[in-house]
Amino acid sequence: MTVIRHSRRTELLLLLFAALIVGVGGVLVCLGMDLPLVQAARGLGVVGAIMAAAMMLDLADPRRDRWLLPIVAVLAGLGFLMLWQLDGRQASRQLVWMVAGSGVMVAVYYLIEDVRDLARLKYTSGLLALALVGVTLAFGVEKGGARLWLDVGGLISFQPTELVKVLMCVFLAGYIAERQELLREDTRKVAGFQMPRLRHIAPLMLMVIFALAIFVGQRDLGAAVLFFGLFVAMTYMATGRKAYSVIALVFFAGGAAAAYMTFPHVATRVDMWLNPWSEPVDRGYQILQGLFALAEGGLVGTGFATGGGATIPAATTDLIFAVWAQQLGLAGAVAMVLLFALAAHRSFSIAWQATDSFGALLAAGLAVVFSLQALVIIGGVTKLIPLTGITLPFVSYGGTSVIVNFIALALLMAVSRDCMPARARDGGER
Amino acid sequence: MNAREMSRNIRRVAMIPAVGFALLCVFLGYWQVYKAPELRADEYNTRARDRLAKIEPGRVLDSGGAPLLGTSREGGKWQRTYPEGESVCHITGYNDRSGVQKSLRDALLGIGRYESPWAEFAEGPTRGNDVTLTVDLDAQEIGTRLLRGERGAVVALDARTGAVLALVSAPGYEPEGLVDSEWDFQMFQNDPGKPEIDRALQGVYPPGSVMKILTAAAVMDLGRVDRETEFECDGEYEIDGATITCPRAHGTVTLDEALQVSCNTTFARLGRYIAADEFVDYMNRFHLLGGADLPLPSSKGRVGDFTGANRDVLLAESLFGQGETLVTPLAIARMTLAIAHGGTVLAPYLVERISAPSGASLYAAQPKELGQAVSAETAASVAGMMANVVEEGTGGVVALSGVDVAAKTGSAENPHGQAHSWFTAFAPADNPQVVVTVVVENAGAGSEAAGPIVRQMLVYLLGNTGAI
Repeated sequence: MTVIRHSRRTELLLLLFAALIVGVGGVLVCLGMDLPLVQAARGLGVVGAIMAAAMMLDLADPRRDRWLLPIVAVLAGLGFLMLWQLDGRQASRQLVWMVAGSGVMVAVYYLIEDVRDLARLKYTSGLLALALVGVTLAFGVEKGGARLWLDVGGLISFQPTELVKVLMCVFLAGYIAERQELLREDTRKVAGFQMPRLRHIAPLMLMVIFALAIFVGQRDLGAAVLFFGLFVAMTYMATGRKAYSVIALVFFAGGAAAAYMTFPHVATRVDMWLNPWSEPVDRGYQILQGLFALAEGGLVGTGFATGGGATIPAATTDLIFAVWAQQLGLAGAVAMVLLFALAAHRSFSIAWQATDSFGALLAAGLAVVFSLQALVIIGGVTKLIPLTGITLPFVSYGGTSVIVNFIALALLMAVSRDCMPARARDGGER
Repeated sequence: MNAREMSRNIRRVAMIPAVGFALLCVFLGYWQVYKAPELRADEYNTRARDRLAKIEPGRVLDSGGAPLLGTSREGGKWQRTYPEGESVCHITGYNDRSGVQKSLRDALLGIGRYESPWAEFAEGPTRGNDVTLTVDLDAQEIGTRLLRGERGAVVALDARTGAVLALVSAPGYEPEGLVDSEWDFQMFQNDPGKPEIDRALQGVYPPGSVMKILTAAAVMDLGRVDRETEFECDGEYEIDGATITCPRAHGTVTLDEALQVSCNTTFARLGRYIAADEFVDYMNRFHLLGGADLPLPSSKGRVGDFTGANRDVLLAESLFGQGETLVTPLAIARMTLAIAHGGTVLAPYLVERISAPSGASLYAAQPKELGQAVSAETAASVAGMMANVVEEGTGGVVALSGVDVAAKTGSAENPHGQAHSWFTAFAPADNPQVVVTVVVENAGAGSEAAGPIVRQMLVYLLGNTGAI
């Protein structure tokens, strides 16, 4: 118990440190926007909500990861401050989503008595994921070229694909964990590669192909890439068979080439990635404005809360990182990338410490989704890869994204609670 | 598979995002520090506009330090002034999107690669750099005066370095306030005299007989003909049903004499001594068809297609500068310079140096050789022949007392009326210091319109170098 108390104090100190960072940031925003300094407390609302959630999690079971929440508190707090400068209305909503998300996280943590039980819900999750994608495709509303939004009663609109990411993690973790040995051992040699038998892999492949096709149909390329990466990583982690990854990469290359030739919007993304200057005020506008923002930032940035988002398209969502990098420069940009790297590392380490296959795969899947999302959007902004619209977890504006990320966080917490070696020695609750 | 193995696999997979995040940091550094100055100066970067208006642009000076472009401050913004007006209009341009104001913008504003990535610690640049050009303001004014009322161009180069001493195009225009009035600017752009075009660099003309310099150099460099090789001119030369004529029968002439009297049939006959691809090869060696490679817009030359049925006729015509060959005045000056410089082609250059506001030198021009067009021996022979053109032939108009001049005239037939008057020269013939090339559109024989202008330019420029 001393260890727990000790780590509990560490988390509290880190959360207080997060509050300090966000508090100072909030003061800067108030100064920059000529607001009364009292309002700086709004930024603390985000950190406060997460802090309160952390305490409530401990009421249920204090044996959990102590690093993710402080990191998320900094990211979410800074994200809120960025939104505040860029769009006050969105910021107010985001604050509500953050508080609600923290609550959802606590609720999920409480509801799941043992995360290993979720394995039984794998087919439910899978079907629900497909249903959500299908419904969006049928009744979705198009915004910014992608059909991702579902309007319910004209009041609430949400992005089902965000939730699909988590559902797919549950499905893949459950399905693969159950057939781990079969996928690994019941193989045949085909063209020098150990290949699994079709009957083991077929439902998986079908599911993935179907989902990918739908994602591409929705023009949500970021999600398609994310999903593909998730699938490849999961099969490799469960089986250790590199052949799957090679086959998958071949598929990916073929699929990418086909998409480039078939879909004009894919070709646009790739062409503008290769040479945005060929159409600087047209199709290359977004990527160029992102790069100009990076350059304007330089080493130490133009200063927090000095504006600069006006010329950047999608400044509060896809390109929020560009605004951050402009204001905080290379120093701030690298700091944020390191925060994401740290969060990814913590999530992966929960996975590799887990004693249970399902728990490990679930945590690893969530870690893959989280890191890929950050990599894809920041990589797009820095022209490392083609720019595709995807949210920066916990930073970008978006209600669905925030809530779902908190659910994912709850699942990671639950894995760290239920699948650690010490708990396994206790005999578990099964 | 046991938990340990899976744990190992997860660790392996976790390496991939770790590498990805490291790559992101590298790319961030690339854009935010290494590439930042360039991006901040990018013409599509609207956020840079406000910052640029606060920078006092550097001055553009002639070789003697006289300002060709100045600055004035109006309403908190810096504006350009044009103290020398028309005489340097094609060099200065009329706004920040023309002339050297466009091409040297980064240097003049101290941005782009002239900005230190660390400059942002201090507020960024507040004053741009001064650019000193190689041109001589007096030479510009003389050229402008001599071309008044004509359409044409004057190019003067330093024969020792390739520095551009004068670059004049007529008609010119008054750049000050040109873009202030929409109406005036429309008139300017629709002017039939096309004053916006820099004829020295962008004008393409058939070279006429000045091409014979290159033809003579080529056949002699190939070793197939020498200065004393004799040809028979009876005033007409028939080839494949086409007839090439001279104004009169020159009788028996050596190649030397043929250049002096500018005998067309002799040069057409040289088609028997040189193949089309060899001829084109020498054109490229002399960079006759290349652009100017100066920080100003320029055109490339053209040559006929020697693959058709009439290729022999086309080659014969091209050898004395007709056919379908088109060249810029600068290219003819560069070719003349190569003969004067022992067969070595020098790259013309316009920017002498760039100095920071502190006085520190940011750039200093170095003469650059583009390659050997012909052997030094060949160049010396052609130079001697060109000296004879002035002494005994058609170029007598540029003969100066006390200094030998080498030259070649040209009258280029064209579809727009009277022949274009060409004249290209260098002096002193035995120790070349300056090259002057002049073209005057539709003005007749080379010795009539272009020759006197070359003479005046030579007198001024050689007075400058101390040769006269």
